[in-house]
Amino acid sequence: MTDQASQFVSATIHGQMGQERVLFWRHIVSWGGWTQIAKWAGLIVILLTYIPLVWLAVMSFSERPLSGMPYPITIEHYAALMADKAWREPLLESVIMGLIVGAVCMVVATAVGRAIPRMIRPGGVLLLALSPLFVPALTMGAALFIFLREYLDLRLGLWSIFIAHIVWALPFSLLLVLVIATRFDLRLLEAASDLGASTWRRFWDIEFPILRPGIIGAGLFGFLLSFNELLRSIFLRGSETTMPLYNWTMAASHQSQVPIIFALATVILAITLPLMAVFFWLLFARLDRST
Amino acid sequence: MTEQNNADSFGSSGPILEIRDVTHRFGEVVAVDNISIQAQQGEFLTILGESGSGKTTLLRVISGLETPSTLGALRIAGEDVSNTPASDRNCTTVFQHYALFPHMAVGENVAYGLKVRGVPLGEREERSRDALELVRLGDKYDRRVHQLSGGERQRVALARALVTRPAILLLDEPLGALDEKLRLDMQVELLELHSKLGMTFVYITHSQEEALTMSDRVILMRQGQIVQEGPPRDLFDRPASRFVADFMGVENLLNGVVLESNGEITTVRMGEHTVKGRWSGKTTPVPDQPICVCVRAERVKFAEGSGDEPNRISCKPGATIYKGKYLDQTLETDVGMVNARIWDGDFSLDTVSHVWWHENDCVIVPSDKSSESVN
Repeated sequence: MTDQASQFVSATIHGQMGQERVLFWRHIVSWGGWTQIAKWAGLIVILLTYIPLVWLAVMSFSERPLSGMPYPITIEHYAALMADKAWREPLLESVIMGLIVGAVCMVVATAVGRAIPRMIRPGGVLLLALSPLFVPALTMGAALFIFLREYLDLRLGLWSIFIAHIVWALPFSLLLVLVIATRFDLRLLEAASDLGASTWRRFWDIEFPILRPGIIGAGLFGFLLSFNELLRSIFLRGSETTMPLYNWTMAASHQSQVPIIFALATVILAITLPLMAVFFWLLFARLDRST
Repeated sequence: MTEQNNADSFGSSGPILEIRDVTHRFGEVVAVDNISIQAQQGEFLTILGESGSGKTTLLRVISGLETPSTLGALRIAGEDVSNTPASDRNCTTVFQHYALFPHMAVGENVAYGLKVRGVPLGEREERSRDALELVRLGDKYDRRVHQLSGGERQRVALARALVTRPAILLLDEPLGALDEKLRLDMQVELLELHSKLGMTFVYITHSQEEALTMSDRVILMRQGQIVQEGPPRDLFDRPASRFVADFMGVENLLNGVVLESNGEITTVRMGEHTVKGRWSGKTTPVPDQPICVCVRAERVKFAEGSGDEPNRISCKPGATIYKGKYLDQTLETDVGMVNARIWDGDFSLDTVSHVWWHENDCVIVPSDKSSESVN
């Protein structure tokens, strides 16, 4: 048996059974079960994603959310949420922060994303611009904190949270613009000039509409990443409280506030998920139609 | 020269396009080397050359998409445009790659030039529909660009460039991406458009066949310079150098030296043979000058046994290639391979012992080294 096995191995290594090996792999690749595996794996991932979310929403209507029992149903947590004013300022702060970060990301990512494909050697700039993606959140937060607070001795606040969020969100936004900008045919701009368009006109009429899915994606991603950002904000908050900071504090403190968090998380989910849906529609459905 | 300038200042009777002393370099490479060109109103001017000859660069200089390294003068319809951006020049381009805007419908593409000129919507649409009608795409106004075939995209690009009624239409190998049949149809269509519109066409191509069929005048370029210019018949029948003869598709290019010449009829020696032909070089031939004897395959005739045909050279039949309408026949001679064309499928080569050609069908040009030193 062992002999047979070693024979097989040496035969394979020496290529005597090359034909069998090719057939073996061809057999594996063409196995009908792959489709089934892909289908089930996909389904499991989807379930793992959405069951907890739905469960959270269901539990927000439960009298005792931490008990794990949906019954008896109540809307008292939502009533409490409405009565409670403590979360409103963090939410407003996060929404405004997200809007500003989204807008800034949109503009900067568009400018940089258009410039990079026009460079003769874009490699270095690309690497510098995208490497923040790989810097761990705590490292980035701590580094910014040490630099701004300890070294420059500045008073932290919304502005430092803003900086941290930009550093975090911009590479993603840039990627989204680049995906489309690198495929953009610069010769279209020459054609537009040739037909009489000024530099501004040809950007507005030709380049912007074609890049639009990427630009809108950049803005939406900027907003969502800022809106959900926690780890960097912990370092750079000063005395400010954003929505994730508020949730985190509340959830961590085992207070009576917890049921409200369920309701609040559900509300936020109800806002963010449709936003994501719109984003994907813009990025993919619209893109498909325009090319 | 003074007359010329006066005419230009009135902007009516001068050439519609005038370029003087333009040079363009890409780093070390000289793409366009001190060229001057003129085109008359309504002319179909073809700039012919192989890839890398600088013809596209020249076109981009005219359209303003390329700023030349040095420029003597550049006038379109009498107006100095040497410092005018591409968007303000009275000419439009049909690009080889069409460059249609993918996010716009066909009609919007065509109307774009009018839109940026502030033409009101109604007129814009009317004129765009007319332009599409002109290229026989009247029913495609609302189509998306990606729904069109290659030939249709080509026509949209043409309509888009025509709709603003430019003084000059620049065409950059517009038929290059089309298949054979479509290309021939489009040649005819472009010619019809040209005569219908009376617009000046500057047409770039690498195909001598396109140049011959369509142009009033051909400029043949090589390595950034003009090698020869004139009516298609001139380039075809009277090439001025071996390069031109070769580019214009002369199949037989045989080397020899000049014996004597009366300026027109020139006698040359090729190996053992003495051959007569018409001199076509730019300079006067001198004895012992190395030359090239150019004979088109369809002008090569066959002879048997002894005879007194001119330019007789003994031969042995070589390979035969079937070309459908005719046969391509190679013949081995002691001055090299000679190509002949046989139109009669039943023709027998068995008794053929010589090839010959009329001296009027034989053009003699300086061989390339001397012709280049002239340039």
